[in-house]
Amino acid sequence: MADLSRRQILRLGALLTASAGLSRTESRAMAGGLLRMAGGNPRVCWVQAQSCSGCSVSLLNSDHPGPLELLTQYISLVFHQNVGAAQGQTVVDLLEQIEEAGDFVLVVEGAIPLDMPEACTIAGRSIQDILVPLTRKAMAVVAVGTCAAYGGIPGAEGNPTGAGSVRDLMVKAGIPVEGRLLNCPSCPTHPKSVVGTLAYVAGRGYPEVHPELLTPRMFYSSSTHDDCPRFHYYNKHIYAEQFGAEEGCLFKLGCLGPLTFTECPRRQWNGGVNWCIRAGAPCIGCSFEGFARRRDFPFYRKGEQYHAVARVERGLQEEQS
Amino acid sequence: MAKTISISPITRIEGHLAIHTDTRTAEDGRLEVTAAHCEGEMFRGIEKILEGRDPLDAQQITQRICGVCPVSHGIASVRAQENAYGIVPNHNGRLLQNLILAANYLQSHVLHFYHLAALDFVDVTAILAYQGQDGTLRAVKAWVQDALDRGDAFAAAPLLPRWEADYVEDVGVNCELIAHYAQALEIRKIAHEMCAVFGAKMPHSTSIVPGGCTQRPTMERILAYGSRLEKVESFILDTYLPDVVTAAGAFPRLWDVGRGYDNFLSYGVFEMNEAGDRFLPPGAVIEGKFERFDQARISEEVGSSRFDSGSKLHPSRGETQPSPHKGGAYSWLKAPRYKGHPMEVGPLARVLCAYHSSTDHWVHKAVNGVLGKYEVPAEKLNSVLGRHLARVLEAVWVAKQSHEWLDELEIDGSPARDFDLPLEASGIGLTEAPRGALGHWLEISNHLISRYQCVVPTTWNCSPRDDAGKPGPVEMALEGTVVEDPDQPIDPARIVRSFDPCIACAVH
Repeated sequence: MADLSRRQILRLGALLTASAGLSRTESRAMAGGLLRMAGGNPRVCWVQAQSCSGCSVSLLNSDHPGPLELLTQYISLVFHQNVGAAQGQTVVDLLEQIEEAGDFVLVVEGAIPLDMPEACTIAGRSIQDILVPLTRKAMAVVAVGTCAAYGGIPGAEGNPTGAGSVRDLMVKAGIPVEGRLLNCPSCPTHPKSVVGTLAYVAGRGYPEVHPELLTPRMFYSSSTHDDCPRFHYYNKHIYAEQFGAEEGCLFKLGCLGPLTFTECPRRQWNGGVNWCIRAGAPCIGCSFEGFARRRDFPFYRKGEQYHAVARVERGLQEEQS
Repeated sequence: MAKTISISPITRIEGHLAIHTDTRTAEDGRLEVTAAHCEGEMFRGIEKILEGRDPLDAQQITQRICGVCPVSHGIASVRAQENAYGIVPNHNGRLLQNLILAANYLQSHVLHFYHLAALDFVDVTAILAYQGQDGTLRAVKAWVQDALDRGDAFAAAPLLPRWEADYVEDVGVNCELIAHYAQALEIRKIAHEMCAVFGAKMPHSTSIVPGGCTQRPTMERILAYGSRLEKVESFILDTYLPDVVTAAGAFPRLWDVGRGYDNFLSYGVFEMNEAGDRFLPPGAVIEGKFERFDQARISEEVGSSRFDSGSKLHPSRGETQPSPHKGGAYSWLKAPRYKGHPMEVGPLARVLCAYHSSTDHWVHKAVNGVLGKYEVPAEKLNSVLGRHLARVLEAVWVAKQSHEWLDELEIDGSPARDFDLPLEASGIGLTEAPRGALGHWLEISNHLISRYQCVVPTTWNCSPRDDAGKPGPVEMALEGTVVEDPDQPIDPARIVRSFDPCIACAVH
């Protein structure tokens, strides 16, 4: 902790809460959480299931704190498959040691193959067998990414493994989710949502969540559509008709902004250099609970006539378009 | 006496992989690997999930095969679609796709060397002996020292616990490499910002579309990319390349460790014009002999794989029917073969395919220059160190070429070519991911995807045995390896990591 200034921690707490409109008290709580995590209380154990590692790579894109500060000064990341030095039997022993020691937040990245346990194993042991005791022992469980939160693409229609969410796994194992499980969807999860959620849990406990989706309200309350920089085009009924068009609301190309609750318009991505709408790319709804789930609900509208069912479900009235 | 040594799981790669080796006691009493098995431990069934969907969904869904190289899947998918729709990207579209892909190459290669592989060489505990004034290193030292002082059982996690091994001994060199590990965290992040400048966001770019990209190349965007490119390029030239040379100097024996088949495959990558000529060319090297690449000679075998679908099928006719309990199967990876041969793919394969294509090829000259400088014969490239060297050389070349692509952009011009969606069509999309040859095969019936097959770099490299029992490239590279400590088999781990495996990709 030697080189970490308390003032900088307070600023970070304020930054993490600022976009969510939280109070000064809460930003101080967040700062307190960062301080406690830095001292290894709680530890963070990050387990990957049916994942692509995209949420882990996204975490390394963290700004304020940057990735090195995050790993060495803010989070005691006791286990991570991609960055950890441990390998082989050391990993098996380490997971046992973490479970035994307690006082950890469990982060899960990826979906769980509920109907085909062989479809995700670590050292020959099914991910269910590994996660069930860890979710039971953890002081909180954070499902990062749309796969862990809702099943995502591995759980989409036609999937062969019966992939489900962390919530599905916990419910199946009879482990209570209320007040313990937090969903941080989006594909991948924005690093600020993960760091902010962990800091809040450490400093103040379980945050206020959406009652059904279990998403922290501070990060998942406003729709991308409401804060869209192209909203004025929508109001004037000016629509982009093909990819790469300079002007227009992207709704007719397939934009799912109205269904998608994220911080994207405010935080943007990758240090604020860009984000989907700004780049002319329709929002594909990657943090929406129905993301990619149905075959007849394509991301884009170019081929929409072949998927009539989806037309009425895009969150805006057809006559408005 | 035979002893089985496993690395289960092998970490600091992408995904879920276990390595199992059989060993024998050699004449000098040390253990030597006689056979190795790569077990891919995760399956999602992305190809099945794509069936019945809108073809345009594919470039988004297939990007989620891998969070480390999503751009490559996006490119392979739009190539397959463009092939099916009968278009190629327009001028800006081609350049923008190259620039997004190039930035992710740089991101991925830096990530691999420093954050995945380096902990097999660097002694992180050397930081405790650091006496210098560098602020970053002092902060890291304090972090480790404080945790040790308060008796934290998880001190310096996740950089500890680790195996004991023959790490670099010199404290100064270790500390310098730790500083570069830290710097590389920032550099790979900046490389991702470059991707996002034209790609909207990373991981999982939303701007890549058939025909090009949705992001117009404004002057502001070009500068935003260019200024970051200069930083990343400087790091590659001034730090990454010298560090690979340092590693080679500290572990010269690793030029003789991890030799695989002399079979290498590249589909070629980075389109230089509308005709599709590529910056790094396609080709195949079989038992050291170069030949022209023909995608019709690819097939996938499933004799040792957990699938009961047909074997030896060309991907355009490929099937994916999982069978988790299939007898004799030991991996979720299929076994791709080229003319029946297991083939190594990746930066080394790209370098060697270009190198062997012609003595006049610029890669041939560049590689000879480097090998001459460090007095390493070309045949030693097929090794742990050769793979690291090829990766950094490629990073140097791709960074340099990216300036050219940036300058060729038509400022504010259209970034994409429009297209119509066909009723029935098929398409092939071939590119190279940072980890190697990547192909998507697409079939469209009644406007929907009726078949989608991906053959991915690590599917080639970490493939299990084929129907004839022939080991995959990583399995072959492990054979003959001497294991000093069966409980901490560091050299096998170094060999596997030199291929930069990605299992989420390989199985998908």
